Amino acid sequence: MRVAVFRWKAVVPLLVFGAVALGLWLVFADRIARRTAESVGTTLIGAEVEIERLHLDLPHGRVEIHGLTVASPFEALQNLLQADALVADLEPLPLLEKKLVIDRLTATGLKFGTPRLTDGRTLKDSPSVAGGRSDGVMGQVTRWGEQLQVPALALPTGKISAARLDPAQLTTPRAAAALGARADSAQQAWDSQLKGLDVGATADSARRMAERLRGAKATDVKLLGEARRTLGQLKQAQDRLAALERSATSGIAALQAGAAGLTDAKQRDYTTARGLLKLPGLDAPDIGAALFGPAAVGRFQRALYWVELGRRYMPPGLLPRATPGPRRARRAGATVRFPRANGEPAFLLKTAELSVQLGAAGTAPRTYAASLSGVTSDPALYGRPATASATAPGFRLGALLDHVRPTPRDTATASLAGVALPPLSLPSLPIRLEPGAGTVALSLAVQGDEVRARWTMQSDRVRWTRDSSGAAPPSPTGDLVWRVVSGIPTLVVSASLTGSLARPQLAVSSNLDRALAERLRAVAGAELAAAERRVRAQVDSLVDGQVAPVLAKVTVLGGDVTRRLGGERTQLDDARKALEQRLRALTGLPGVRLP
Amino acid sequence: MLVLKLIQSLFKALHSEGTPGQLAAGLALGSILGLTPLWNFHNVVVFALIIVLNVSFAGAMLGWALFVPVGFLLDPAFDWIGRTLLLDTPALRPLWTALYNAPVVPLTSFNNTIALGSLVVAAALWVPLFFASRWGVVRYRATVAERVKRSALYRSVLASKLYNLYRLFRPEA
Repeated sequence: MRVAVFRWKAVVPLLVFGAVALGLWLVFADRIARRTAESVGTTLIGAEVEIERLHLDLPHGRVEIHGLTVASPFEALQNLLQADALVADLEPLPLLEKKLVIDRLTATGLKFGTPRLTDGRTLKDSPSVAGGRSDGVMGQVTRWGEQLQVPALALPTGKISAARLDPAQLTTPRAAAALGARADSAQQAWDSQLKGLDVGATADSARRMAERLRGAKATDVKLLGEARRTLGQLKQAQDRLAALERSATSGIAALQAGAAGLTDAKQRDYTTARGLLKLPGLDAPDIGAALFGPAAVGRFQRALYWVELGRRYMPPGLLPRATPGPRRARRAGATVRFPRANGEPAFLLKTAELSVQLGAAGTAPRTYAASLSGVTSDPALYGRPATASATAPGFRLGALLDHVRPTPRDTATASLAGVALPPLSLPSLPIRLEPGAGTVALSLAVQGDEVRARWTMQSDRVRWTRDSSGAAPPSPTGDLVWRVVSGIPTLVVSASLTGSLARPQLAVSSNLDRALAERLRAVAGAELAAAERRVRAQVDSLVDGQVAPVLAKVTVLGGDVTRRLGGERTQLDDARKALEQRLRALTGLPGVRLP
Repeated sequence: MLVLKLIQSLFKALHSEGTPGQLAAGLALGSILGLTPLWNFHNVVVFALIIVLNVSFAGAMLGWALFVPVGFLLDPAFDWIGRTLLLDTPALRPLWTALYNAPVVPLTSFNNTIALGSLVVAAALWVPLFFASRWGVVRYRATVAERVKRSALYRSVLASKLYNLYRLFRPEA
């Protein structure tokens, strides 16, 4: 039996089905396109993109978007931008190649930094934002920011704390103990030597001899001989006593020098104890980096985020490029683009005219014009760099993303004057800075891997407020900084970034640095003196109890030895004098001298 | 409900008036719908073929239902195949570049690794699946089909309203 290949009766239902599908598509095309645009935008930006209404006008090659809201990928409750309406004129033929070429885009009612009720960051729960790692651009930029070392603000917190003083670290007690031992030893030695001299016995012997000579005759040769020997012994005793006296004098001088050395040791102990104080580093550059470093890093991170996004979605060259596929129940996979020389780019925005609303401080928002051109997914195909520009009183913006050549070159500069600058919280301190109306400027140049960027902020009417949100608890450090900064009405902050993207160098300075450093030094000086007094008292309490007895011992020993030696010397001198008188009287012949 | 529909599809397919070849062709075409991501342009073509060609519609639905979970399971393999073909085979790059820059073709999402990998696998499986399922249907009808036809379950399936809808697309002799 021959079986027919085609089921002709099903053709009509198929056509009906096709017509219904087409009808449904026409009905839901706007919704499908809106959801697709939201999904693509959200993936691209890294934050929620919401569109109130989107209308596809294919016969006229036009797309109208109303109520566009793009959440900030950085701030939880802030929008990156909002637009009242966007109208894009499309080229129809590239649509058949799944390419989007926009001849002209007009955007009206563009507002930046408006508040929102919900967190629109799609990466808020991802490890990249939570401090971990992610392979996305946000994770890449977060890692980049982490390598910029910002010093922590280390200030004296009321009382300067000191580590516990260990008596073993002090030299004076050891020196005092040694001196005391030397004094004891010297005293023993001198006592022993005095005892060995036996001055009393020698003097008594001499006195007895003098008595014996009282009734003797000059012819008593034997007695005279004994008397001479006694006199000789007396002289020897005097000599030994003189030697002992000299030794004792020098010994006492050494002990007194040792006692004086204890004073020097105590001074050294004061120095040691002072070294245990935890004193802050008060250099002005460190203070500037500590106060405004995180804010500067945040600004540079944001700028770099857009540069990296640009490099990811507008890469140089014509090689195939894989990007994540569409979100669906099945695995997304990767979608690969195959640009061809002289072909149309997958996405091209030829020109855009933007009407931007910016609110100057205290005034109603004003509308400014800005333009954008050459934004494309394939710069090498388009052959021209993407540019953005806006100029208005107090506002200037210029950007050029040149990805046409193999080494991408991105430059941007923007300055805004007279607008309300966003408030800033000082890191780890319960102090909030409200710059008020001021000027902020950012310039950035990234060529290949080399970066050169500068961020400045200036305001003449700064308001400092205590941050009671509890993000940073009240602290003596906060009080100290508050006392310094609360009286300063102007603010000039300048931060620069140089070097390669892999090894960037950050430098931050502000007008607060010097004032804060000087004030902190003054405050710290008083605290330092008080702290020094405390540690000196601590040293005194540990040292004086051991030094005083030793000093007293040396003093007493010196006096005692001198007195005793003097007494012994007098005793010998008297005995010798008496003996010599007797001998002279006995042998008192003219021209005769006693031996 | 899904299980019931699957059983209905199974019964209708196996006991339809179509030939084993029609049933096998429908099942093989339906497998493409199941193996590849559904919302792709090529599936519009496959669906149109299922409608217009004189193949078993129930067989196609059965193939679709059976191969959807297989598609999910094999996604990592499809991704690998797609990457290999799109990115790691320089010889094919001119082809992809030409297709990517041709009208309409990019709408098929052929440049997605999952779409291309699954389509290639589905196409490669089509012929073996056709012959295997045709052999299976022949064996089934020769052995247990009559007993199943007499069962209460089969009669209740035939009595359902869905069967009337199915009759519209049953294969023509």
